[in-house]
This record gives sequence, structure tokens and C-alpha cells, in this order.
Amino acid sequence: MAGARIGQLRGWIRRASGAWLPRAGRLDSGEVLISQRRVFILPSKAGLGFALLLLVLLIGSINYGLGLGFGLTFLALSCALVDMVATYRNLAHLRLQQGRVAPVFAGEEVRFELQVANRTGLARYGVWADFSDVAEPRHVTDVAPGAEATVVLTVPTVTRGWLTPPRVTLSTSFPLGLFRAWSHWRPAARALVYPRPEDGAPALPLSGGAGNSLALGGNDDVAGVRNYQPGDTLRQLAWRQIARLGADSGQLLSKQFEGGGGADLLLDYAALPMQLDSEQRLARLTRWVLDAESRALPYALRLGGVRFDAASGPAHQAACLRALALYGMPEAA
Amino acid sequence: MTAAKPPAPGALSRLARLPRDKADTLLLLASALLVLAPHALHLPLWVSLLCGATLAWRAAITLRGKRMPRAIVLLPIAVAAMAGIQFSYDTLLGKDAGVAMLVLLVTFKMLEMHARRDLFVVVFLCFFLALTNFFYTQGIGTALLMLVSIWMLLATQLSFQFTGSVPPLRARLGMAARTLAFAAPVAIVMFVVFPRIHGPLWSMPGGPGAGMTGLSDDMAPGQMSSLALSEEPVFRVQFFGPAPDKADLYWRGPVLGAFDGLTWTRVPEQARKLHMSVGAPALDYEVTLEPSSSRWVFALELPRARPDVPGYRVRETPSLELAADKPLATRVRYRATSHTAYTLERGAVLPDAERWLLLPYGFNPRALAEGRALRGLSAPAQRVQAVLDKFAGERFSYTLEPPRLGRDTVDEFVYGTQAGFCEHYASAFVFLMRAAGVPARVVTGYQGGEINPLDGFMTVRQSDAHAWAEVWLAGLGWIRIDPTAAVAPERVQRGLGASVSRPPPFGIEALRGVNPFSAGGNAWLAQLRNGVNAMNNGWNQWVLNYTPERQRGVLQGLLQNLFGWQLAVVLMATAGVWLLSKFLRARRGIHPVDALYSTLCKRLGQLGLVRAQDEGPSAYAARVGGAPHLAPQSRAAALEFLRRYSSWRYAPPSADPRLTATLKSLLSQVR
Repeated sequence: MAGARIGQLRGWIRRASGAWLPRAGRLDSGEVLISQRRVFILPSKAGLGFALLLLVLLIGSINYGLGLGFGLTFLALSCALVDMVATYRNLAHLRLQQGRVAPVFAGEEVRFELQVANRTGLARYGVWADFSDVAEPRHVTDVAPGAEATVVLTVPTVTRGWLTPPRVTLSTSFPLGLFRAWSHWRPAARALVYPRPEDGAPALPLSGGAGNSLALGGNDDVAGVRNYQPGDTLRQLAWRQIARLGADSGQLLSKQFEGGGGADLLLDYAALPMQLDSEQRLARLTRWVLDAESRALPYALRLGGVRFDAASGPAHQAACLRALALYGMPEAA
Repeated sequence: MTAAKPPAPGALSRLARLPRDKADTLLLLASALLVLAPHALHLPLWVSLLCGATLAWRAAITLRGKRMPRAIVLLPIAVAAMAGIQFSYDTLLGKDAGVAMLVLLVTFKMLEMHARRDLFVVVFLCFFLALTNFFYTQGIGTALLMLVSIWMLLATQLSFQFTGSVPPLRARLGMAARTLAFAAPVAIVMFVVFPRIHGPLWSMPGGPGAGMTGLSDDMAPGQMSSLALSEEPVFRVQFFGPAPDKADLYWRGPVLGAFDGLTWTRVPEQARKLHMSVGAPALDYEVTLEPSSSRWVFALELPRARPDVPGYRVRETPSLELAADKPLATRVRYRATSHTAYTLERGAVLPDAERWLLLPYGFNPRALAEGRALRGLSAPAQRVQAVLDKFAGERFSYTLEPPRLGRDTVDEFVYGTQAGFCEHYASAFVFLMRAAGVPARVVTGYQGGEINPLDGFMTVRQSDAHAWAEVWLAGLGWIRIDPTAAVAPERVQRGLGASVSRPPPFGIEALRGVNPFSAGGNAWLAQLRNGVNAMNNGWNQWVLNYTPERQRGVLQGLLQNLFGWQLAVVLMATAGVWLLSKFLRARRGIHPVDALYSTLCKRLGQLGLVRAQDEGPSAYAARVGGAPHLAPQSRAAALEFLRRYSSWRYAPPSADPRLTATLKSLLSQVR
């Protein structure tokens, strides 16, 4: 009952703070200092219990006329006040910065790295960090004076595109647990979510046409070798090269065939079967980009009006995947 | 290969290497023990033993890593303990039984701690337990113990709050000590200014004073011997002016007029107008009365007016007793004015004389006969003198350990044992006076008091309890006669310690100087005792008995001092510090030009040129100049801005009043 009330109060304060603080709704870019006006503080449940205890102590002192009881009551109250200041100081003047966010494929978790720097001389203990919509924070860290701590917050992804992380709450109850101080932070960095690669997609359209899964080339044109991949037939193994590596290595190599007369691999959105919807097409293209990259085959991508010339390498892959992730999105920039 | 054996770890280092949760639990046990220990002084032995055993059990569980006992084991023990409380105290309610229950609750809670919440519960209960200890003692030592207890409790609670690395115990104790150090001044201010009211808010079972000794309302000779030995202070007095002679220090208590042969009791009286006149200079003084279960308010004979005792209504009886409307269970302070020279009922006749002449039928025939014989002396004053002479002349002796008396106490004392203390003499004297036809009564109270030269307060102790007599003589009124003084004048002049030859402590002759009653026996010891007394008195006056009245006085004094020139100085100093800090803060604050710079950086950042943390304006400008995707006009404006900013920032301050405006207009061109 009381817990629900506190929850209500907290919720109200949360909403109200969004209304009256001009900064609360905005994104925080760059390094953010948790200044005095960004720290909120309220008694915790234990703190409310302590308030009740103080009341009982006071009434006992008055009723029994205990002079020393007044001393105990006021000393305990003062300790709680000192604790309030200490809890505030345990959170205030920390500096927050967003670390790098690596792109992920839809269905994976984005890792938001949150760097908490303590440039003050005061050691910080028990600083909890998590997204505001989580009931119980899951990550806790200490930050020594002059040190930095990194908290990794993960968000599951479902769809491709830009993902803006939810608001982050930092909170602490240190040192005595009678108060909870917290501060909100809206990191500006967003994560790029690539489309989820299609499972069991047809093989790469090496002939240049779409859907030609048997185009794994004639057996005559060996373009090179590549690492063995599950599914390669015995016929495809490059026995001579394997023998050269020696039996100890245990590594298998497959022959790489050049099909389609050496034409560049073109991954064309428009050339995919009509029955696939756009997300399915993007998923298949994503899978092909990954496949082509893993086989070091140069590939070109045609995605509506966007064209990438044939190339390979991490930068090319990233550009292609980015285009796939943002295809058809208004905020494609 | 034989591995070198590590040195056997000492107990302390083993403790230091305990896993964290175990170390925390042991710390909690130690703090709880600190709070529980003083209660052993008043708890039944079995409760203390049970608590000790339970805590030891808990420590063993922690150290050995065993599981906590299950509820099915604990429940019967708890029920048995409750039954034990009921058996020991005859109740489960009330103050003492409640404290015992609380002690057991805290102890058993230790065995039933599972969540973090339980820790808070135990620590909070420990705070409450520390308060209940004040029911029994509130001395300076108790206060120091309280401070140490709070310190340990804070350190314990702190220890449970760490989530990652945990500093060593010493560092945690230091943190707790700092918390206390910051809290103490705030607590002192609250203690002084928090509005005090006279309690209780509602009556609580067994308030303080229950079971405390005090002067009783009746007197059966022989009863007072234990009282006389108690060194407990009854009240303290501060005289505004020179203290009167010790022989004048008669603190009047209950007046006993009815005798049934064994016991003297009070006589119920109708309120009536008394004839009283006073002479000689008045004595002004303030009495701080310790809490007790009695209702008597003590004042020197004779008080001119009823003193005002805060929180109580005081009534004056026709025998000039001062009685409060309820037991004086709190420490009270009151002012009184008395005259040691006075006359009372100085008329030709005493209106209620017969009530002061009544004697029980069939008791003490010899004394009755001797008293009747005294009627041969025509002047009542001569009869008084005759009895006093008899006490002084015969082999009467003063002793605190008189032989037991049988049925006819007066006869056996006067004609048999001839050894006793004030009660015996007062009782025998009044009996003889009444037999001789002189109205007489027994007055009880305290006689004497000890001045502490360090703070000038006089302490009156239970050992100063005394009984004397009053006789009424026509034309003179009620006159105080102290028959004990006839036998042992030093009892009245110097106090009990001088008049009684006591055996040396532990029967060792050399220790006679340590006799607590002989103030002159050992000079430095007496000085030490005075110092301790003065400290205790200050403690009582300022901490334990900080009443609403005293608070008003303190605050008024503070305000009067503050509203003088000191206040002006303090206010001006505060204002000066405030202005200075504001000035300093303004200098530390952001200059408007810097603010514009940061706006520019933000805007360029939105255009894809985020300034690195360590990038100065020139380096930034170089990068901005090389950025291909910036509109040429924007780039030119930004570069010009950065150039001007750089020269303002790093060149000696040039007073260009238009700089801000220029920068603003440049800024507006960066899009």
C-alpha cells in the first residue's frame, strides 16, 4: 500500500520534472555534468521507516521526559540530514559521456556504453544506472576519484533503422540508504540497426541474375580458394592446397568458382522476386552482402535510387548495410 | 617439493579475511551487543543469559557458514521467552516488561534476517533500544555509550550499502565518525531550539519514578536506616546569596501527627487560615528536584509562598507541607523564598490543639507516666527543656544500627536501649511532650546539604533525611525542636557522616579515609568528588532538565545578545561573505563571449563538425576551413568568428565593446 503510494509519488515527480525542467525533455549531447539542478532526492522506503522511528523516539522522549532521549532523537535526525547531503554528493558532479555505439542487426542487442567520470576528489560508491523504464536497475558501479567507469546498457532490437536509446536514470542510496538521489540523462547518440539477415536465403546470385541458386559455377573456372564452409561438397574441396597446409592444421579449404563469366555480383533490390515484400527483400540483400563479404567477392548494390559500385571491404559493407537499414526511412540522412 | 607453510593466521587477520557478508553480520552483532549490554543491569539474569547465548549462536552460524535455524525451532523458544517475561514481571505490558520484550525481539531478529530490509529493521530497533536504556540511567557515561553505539550502528548500516569494493573497516568507521561529526552541531542546535513541552502527551504505563525511593508518608522508628545510607541526591539547591548555616537547613517535608503506637502518620486537616509572621532577611534559592514517586515539594523552613513548580499544581497544607497534585516523576526546577526566622500560630490558644495531643491507648505506660509527671512544671517551655536535658544527660547514643524494638517502642527506647537515630528521638520526644500536655508533632524532611565549592550548588541526599519535632507554646507558636541535636549535635551541624562512627570499608582500617561520608578525610578525593558532582549537576541542569522554562531563558538570553551590536556585525559579515562568494562565482562563471563560442561549436557540431574535447579554437578553425560540405558563406563566417574569438581569448584583454555583437552577427550567418 505504502509502496504503491510512493510509486505514485515518484511517477508524479517524474512527470512533473519533465514539465518544469527545460532540459529534461531534450537530448544531452557530448559530455554532461550532473549539476545540482539535475539531481533529485527523496527519502527511500527505509528513510520513511527512519522518519517513523524518529517520531517514536521524539514522543518517547517527551512522554517520559528523557533529556538524553531528545539528544538521541536529534542526533539521529541530524545523521539522516547529513546522509541526505552525502547521498546528493555521491551523485552530483559526475560526468557522463556516451561511448561508441556499434551497429547491430535487428534481433540482436545494442550495447550503449555509458562512461561515468569522476573528476572530483570524492570516491563514489554504489551508483546504479539503467534505463528509466526498468523497474529495478541492473547495473551498479563504483567510481574512484579521478577514475572512469563504463556501464554497458543493452537494448533489444526488433526493426531496422535508427534506434534512440531510452532515457537513462542514474541513482544512488549511498551512504546510509535513507535517501535515493537520481538524475536523468538522454544520451544523444543513436544506434544503427541493420535489417535482420534472412535465414536460409538462396545462394548469391553469382550469374548476375536473381534466384539462380545453382549458379555456383562450372567446375572449370577456379578463381581461388576460401575457407571451408559447411555445405561444401567433397568435390569442392581444394585438396592440393589442404595438403600444402599440412595435416596438423586441420584446416579445410574449398575451391572458389568464378561463375557467370566473371561478371560482377550485382545485388539488386528491384531484381528480387515480386512476391517478397520490402522487408523480406532487404533481409535477403543483407544476407547476400554478408555472404559476399565473407567470400571476399566484390559486389554492387542497387537499392532504388541508391547505387553502390562493386567493391568489397568493411567500409563498403558498412555503407551498403547502412543504406539497407535506412531504406525508405524519412530520416535516411 | 615442500611448500613453505604460511604462518598461522591470527584471529584478527582471520577476521579481516572473512567474506564480506560475514564480516558485515559480525559488525551488526557487535553493534547490537553494544546497545543490548547496558540493559543487562536491569534485566532478569535469564534474559541476559538467553540474549548472550543467542548472539553467540548467531556468531557461530556466521563463522561456520551454517544455515539459519528454521521457524519451527525459533517459535517455541520465542513463546517460552514470552512466558518467562510474564513469569518474571507478572505482565507483558508496562515499561520494564516492554523493554525486556524489545531486547528479546532484537536478539531473535538476528536469527531471522534474510533480506536487506531486515537489516534496517534491526538497526532501527537498536536505536529504539538505546532510547529505552535512558529509562534507567541518563548519566554522562550513558551519553558517551550512546555516542559510541550510534557510531557503530552507522558504520554497520554503511557497510551494508556498498555494492562493489568495500573500504577496510577503519575507513568505514572514519566515514561514520565524519557523519557524526557533521551531525553533532546540528543536533546541538536542535536540542537548544526545538520547542519543549511538558510531557507526557498521554500517560504511559510506569513512567520514570516508579519504584524509586523517596521520603515516605509515615514513620515507624527503625524504617529509615536504609534510607540514611543512600547517597542518592534528592535535590540540588542554588542560593542567590550566601547560603545559611548548616544548622538552619531544615527542608520541610511531611508532618506526622497521628501515632498508633508503632507508626506515625499524617493527619488529614481542613484548610484554614494560618497566622504566620516572618522576620530576618529572606533567602532566595532555586531547587532542582530529582524525579521520584513522591509528591512532596521541599523548601526551607519556612517558605513565604507556595513555589511554582512547572507542570504541577502545588498545594500548601495547614501543617505547612508543600504537596504536588501528582507524583513528581520528572525532574523539576522551582524558585522559592524562605525565612529561617519566623513565627507560626503565635496566639494565646491553638484552635486545633487536641489533635496534637492525642496518644494511643495502652502503649508505652512508663513514658506516659513520666510525661504526666512533667505537668508539675508550670511552664510548658520547662517541660520541653526537661526532656531535652534527659536525652543529653543520660547515656543516649546516636547510631544508625539500633537494636530492634518491640511493642512499646518509646518505653523500650527511652528506658532500655537508649540507642537510635532521629526517628527514635523525634518519636520519643513528641510522645513525651504530648503526655506532658504540650501540643507536639513530628516533622520529616531533610536536614543539611553539601555545598560544592566548584559550582556553588548544594546537594541534598537521601542520607540527609531527618525527623525532628515541633511543639506549640502559647505566645510563641510552633517551635522547632530537634531532639537528635541534644544527643548528637554534630549530626545537625556537620551532617550524618560526622556523627556516626562507621566501620572502615571492607574492615580495613587503612581505608577509613576513603569513607564516602567523610568529606574532609582525603583532600584530593573530596576534590575529585566535588568535580564529578559539579559535572553531574551541570549535566542535569542543562541536558536532562532542559525544561520549557529553561529553554525560554536560554533563547531570550540569546536573542537579547543577538539583537545588540553583535547582530549587526554578524549580518554585515554574512552579507560581505555572500557578496564576495557571488563575485567569485561570477568570475568562475561563463563569460558571454565563451557562451557564444559554445553555441557556435554546437551549431558546427550539428553540421557534422564536432569539436573534440581537447581541440583549441585555432585547430578547430583549421578543420572547419578544410571541411568540404560547409556552405562557403557559413565557412567564412565561422572562420572569422573563430579568429576573433581566438584573439580575444589568448591576447591581452582588449576593450572592444562591440565584440559580442559582432560575434552574434557572425554566428547568425553560420547555417
